[in-house]
Amino acid sequence: MTVTRRVAITGMGIVSPTGSNSGIFFDALLHARSGIRAMDVAFPTGTESVLAGHIEFTPDAHFPKAKLLTMDRVSQFALVAAREAMQQAGLGVSALDAYAPGRFGVSMGTGSGGAGSLDAAYTSLLEQKVARLRPMTVVLAMNNATSAHLAMEFGLKGPNSTVSNACASSATAIGDAFRQIRHGYSDAMLVGGAEALLNRGTIKAWQAMHTLAKPHADGAAASCRPFSADRSGLVLSEGAAMLVLEDWDTAVKRGANILAELAGYASTTDAHHLTQPDAQGQAGAMTLALQDARLNTSDIGYLNAHGTATEVGDVVETSAIKLAFGEAAASLPISSTKAVHGHSMGAAGAMEFMASVMALRAGQLPPTAFLEIPDPRCDLDYIALRARSTGKLRAVMSNSFAFGGSNSVLIASAV
Amino acid sequence: MNSDLINLFAETFGIAEDRLQPDATLESLGLDSLAVIEFLFQIEDKFGIQIPDQANPPRTLDEMVQMIEPLMPHGNPGNAGSPAA
Repeated sequence: MTVTRRVAITGMGIVSPTGSNSGIFFDALLHARSGIRAMDVAFPTGTESVLAGHIEFTPDAHFPKAKLLTMDRVSQFALVAAREAMQQAGLGVSALDAYAPGRFGVSMGTGSGGAGSLDAAYTSLLEQKVARLRPMTVVLAMNNATSAHLAMEFGLKGPNSTVSNACASSATAIGDAFRQIRHGYSDAMLVGGAEALLNRGTIKAWQAMHTLAKPHADGAAASCRPFSADRSGLVLSEGAAMLVLEDWDTAVKRGANILAELAGYASTTDAHHLTQPDAQGQAGAMTLALQDARLNTSDIGYLNAHGTATEVGDVVETSAIKLAFGEAAASLPISSTKAVHGHSMGAAGAMEFMASVMALRAGQLPPTAFLEIPDPRCDLDYIALRARSTGKLRAVMSNSFAFGGSNSVLIASAV
Repeated sequence: MNSDLINLFAETFGIAEDRLQPDATLESLGLDSLAVIEFLFQIEDKFGIQIPDQANPPRTLDEMVQMIEPLMPHGNPGNAGSPAA
């Protein structure tokens, strides 16, 4: 396939702990308003306070009851975010006025899919001792249920896939969709990620990894502290972020408001360790993404780091950025917005790419919240505490690195 | 139509009871085949009955009630209560 087309971003939508539309979300990032709270979770052994980016979400406000019977929370988040994105793109529920059904697809990322439904099923089976499970258990829990719901909601009959690359899931899904359009397999793609994993089994599994943050003395909201000497780990969160990608020329022709260009993408795999990151692998993805976008390191005016607030993750990512950017690393503004929205795993890549595009458009760079005492090993410009105004930016980068060794990097450039 | 069934139907799907006319098709009430299966599962649990698999699934509300009603326990079915399990 020799077709090479430009790809426009024309819509974005979000459901997140820091706000459930794109304007509120970005304002929270700029003002370091944390969506992280202490949440009481009733385990069989007793109630525990768990730090989480939990969303106050009312499904009935968005969906009829009959539809909710077939939708896990993860799909609900994605559909609400997608409605905002499609509306911003000017496609509403009539996407097919602009595109043939088979030329508009869906590409989603999720780490755990309908994990809540699976957890509920196991609870029924093992705790409540029921003899049979709800008939919808399979279709609620399956990882591709969300992308199927999105296709049905908007009548999108093009390619439809779900990537499960842990924390890089949605960045990879966006990158795959970018290539679908760039190389002519589809003309438009609804892309993003969703996660709803704040259930008892998943929380306990993460606790066992010993990577979760402890409550900070300044309060639960301030507990996720990327690149800080006093970090204590990551905070699980949930939500969805969705974007509309379109073939550039078609978007222009239909008069769409183009928000930015999706200019480059690359992914690499460490092939090294299930959980230990590798600076070479991460740097490789950043370098390849720059080449893919035909940009130089000096063209990147902001980098949204993966920055989970684990010690090894922050230190290795710092090394990787130095490897990829060389001398330009020292003057590159970088932040981790996970400090306020937490780590939404399969949704994180899309959420943070969206934050990056909003930074590019606004000329406002969100800070790394709570970065009061920088870890001396993380000695780059991590935009501590306060947002930064900047001149017009040419391009921004978003890093997503995952357990399993997947590294996915996206680059957006200004219109 | 059986009022217990209609009440449960209205509650499960959030549909106003005045829309639940006997000849209303399940499709017109916004229910696809999966939603109907989920409802039949709830009926089985609530009334402690077993609904056999259907070669021709019910198309209207009345057809569904006709299918379920003969299987319902005698007396006040709303108090049958205990799950099939």
